[in-house]
Amino acid sequence: MGRADSLVKLAWAYGVHQTKRRVARVRSQKQLLLDTYAADGLKPLTAAEQQRHVEMIGCINCGLCALAAGRIGRTRLPDVAASYLRLYARLGDAAEDVAGELPDVEAAAAACPVGVPLPEVAALVRRLAAG
Amino acid sequence: MSQPSAHDVVIIGGGVTGAGVARDLSLRGLSVLLLEKGDYGAGTSGASSWMIHGGPRYLEFDWDTTRLSTRDAGYIVTIARNIVYRVAFVIPVMPHDKNNIERMETAMEVYDRFQPLKKSHSHVRLTTEEALEIEPGLTHDMVGAVTMEEWGVDPHRLVFANVQDAVAHGARALNHTRVTDLLKDGGAVIGVRYRTADGATSEARARVVVNAAGPWVPEVCGLAGTRVELRPAKGIHIVYPHRISNFAISCESIDGRDLLMVSHAGFTLLGTTDDDFYGDLDSVDVLADEVDYLLQGFERVFPSIRRYRPVRTTAGVRPTLFKWRSNEDELSRRYEIFDHASEGVEGFVTIAGGKLSMYRLMAEQTADAVCRKLGHQGRSATATQPLPGSERDMEPAEELAKRCRITALAAVKLQSRHGSDAEKILDDDRAGRVVCRCEPTLEAELAYAARHEQVRGLPDAFRRVGLAAGPCAGAACVIRASEVVGRELGWSASQRLEAARDFIRGSWLGRAPVLGQSGWAQEELTQGALRGLMS
Repeated sequence: MGRADSLVKLAWAYGVHQTKRRVARVRSQKQLLLDTYAADGLKPLTAAEQQRHVEMIGCINCGLCALAAGRIGRTRLPDVAASYLRLYARLGDAAEDVAGELPDVEAAAAACPVGVPLPEVAALVRRLAAG
Repeated sequence: MSQPSAHDVVIIGGGVTGAGVARDLSLRGLSVLLLEKGDYGAGTSGASSWMIHGGPRYLEFDWDTTRLSTRDAGYIVTIARNIVYRVAFVIPVMPHDKNNIERMETAMEVYDRFQPLKKSHSHVRLTTEEALEIEPGLTHDMVGAVTMEEWGVDPHRLVFANVQDAVAHGARALNHTRVTDLLKDGGAVIGVRYRTADGATSEARARVVVNAAGPWVPEVCGLAGTRVELRPAKGIHIVYPHRISNFAISCESIDGRDLLMVSHAGFTLLGTTDDDFYGDLDSVDVLADEVDYLLQGFERVFPSIRRYRPVRTTAGVRPTLFKWRSNEDELSRRYEIFDHASEGVEGFVTIAGGKLSMYRLMAEQTADAVCRKLGHQGRSATATQPLPGSERDMEPAEELAKRCRITALAAVKLQSRHGSDAEKILDDDRAGRVVCRCEPTLEAELAYAARHEQVRGLPDAFRRVGLAAGPCAGAACVIRASEVVGRELGWSASQRLEAARDFIRGSWLGRAPVLGQSGWAQEELTQGALRGLMS
């Protein structure tokens, strides 16, 4: 009974939906979506960032970059860049951590055994943290 | 053997349901003993998708179930407000999916009617181009997409918050404590015999014993001489140590089941399978075929998925109620409460089936059944009484960080696990020291967990504070963590080393199925780099 009732109600909803689609003007809802989730920190990556995303989050947390940049033991860029990328949706809350001058991320990137593009990661983290 | 303790209720099983029942009954003023043979939430609860959802799949079968499920999800979202977060899904619709874009949007329009019950937003519809703009990793082959919102939660912290609150209201809770037998008087169950973590055997008398053992329900029923039949269903997830996509993504598997790639705070869960399970419940392995099944389903909508490096897998067994014929996972999360008095076994109640999202309701109804048996008048308060850490607003992470001289990143992560209680964990001069950089986990949090949160080994620390949950999977932190926990628990040097070794060995079981060629290479690099740094 429950199932038959559900299917009938869904069929009715489908008819209403189709009618609305035919009658009403279709407007883009993309901005509504982005505005809705801006407060939750859901900011899309750009297509270019997405292209490089696999490399950017390839960190295995070996710590060699921190050694190369002279920042070992400190919870800032670049040594825990991966952690900041993991944080993602709440990066805005940690914006102060990643503010200020960067250490030598080029040197850090050169030491990375898995080829994480640390300058790009730093730029992305800062972009997302800035909101 | 010591003198038996006496309680109104003994609960067997410290998953989310057992912990929820313990909390509910404690809040009603009953004396409760909760016994868990492993760690809290280490079984089915911990292997879930980390979701509090309303059940849009049930719309095809029973709208009342959707309403019930959504309303209860709303209660959980309210009482655990500081440890839950929104999970926004994008559902790309492919040309040959079982539901075309219009049917899919119709379902979402109907689901929108229920969404306010759990404080969620309505869906939107996106063209292919728009979907690609907000989620560039999706395939260009899709017809369009719709969105849907659910809630995420760390099930380990949710279970433990229930345990914490039960204890705060007078309950006693013991993990790593196995029930070895039930005490009987004639046909009635009058208590339990159990063995604690240190090997001591004790007895506890109770007016009612609740069997909330999840997939182990039939085993516990066997001790009482009664029977509840389940059809256990295995589910696995692949865990990526990063957020792979902006939004969570849902898609169809090759056999038409719904798969989810859920972006949580700092990692991604890809799942799940749903297969009949006949093996050993205490040793659930992940098979390479299961991993391939998930990847095959997902690469159709997210083509680069195989390029990402998974860090481990999870496997759990759902306590599905028995039903003969093909498994319809749309309704397989139903639950039932059994009062075994009807079979001549007084004082014994079983709760079986269900899902994480409805744990509170299941616990309330089980507690109601227990209260009826005891003639107790108390009413459930769990729909409105906040869980620990969600009683008050959290202070901004940056302020907490400044005041306690830790990084904002560490403050954010601490709050995600402890909500408004984060500050009291930092009441320690070691607050700023980081044990696990991937998370990051602070030494103070780990020490606090060992002192106050019944952490008895490193796997417990993984569940309580996220130790070794990140990209290095413990390679960089487990030795140090063992030192911190060992100091609190009085371990010798060799015990500390053994604990670290056991943890790494144990975690391999979940890691091996997903370490492909690059995974193994990276693993060696990590180990090598660490050896280099430490020498």
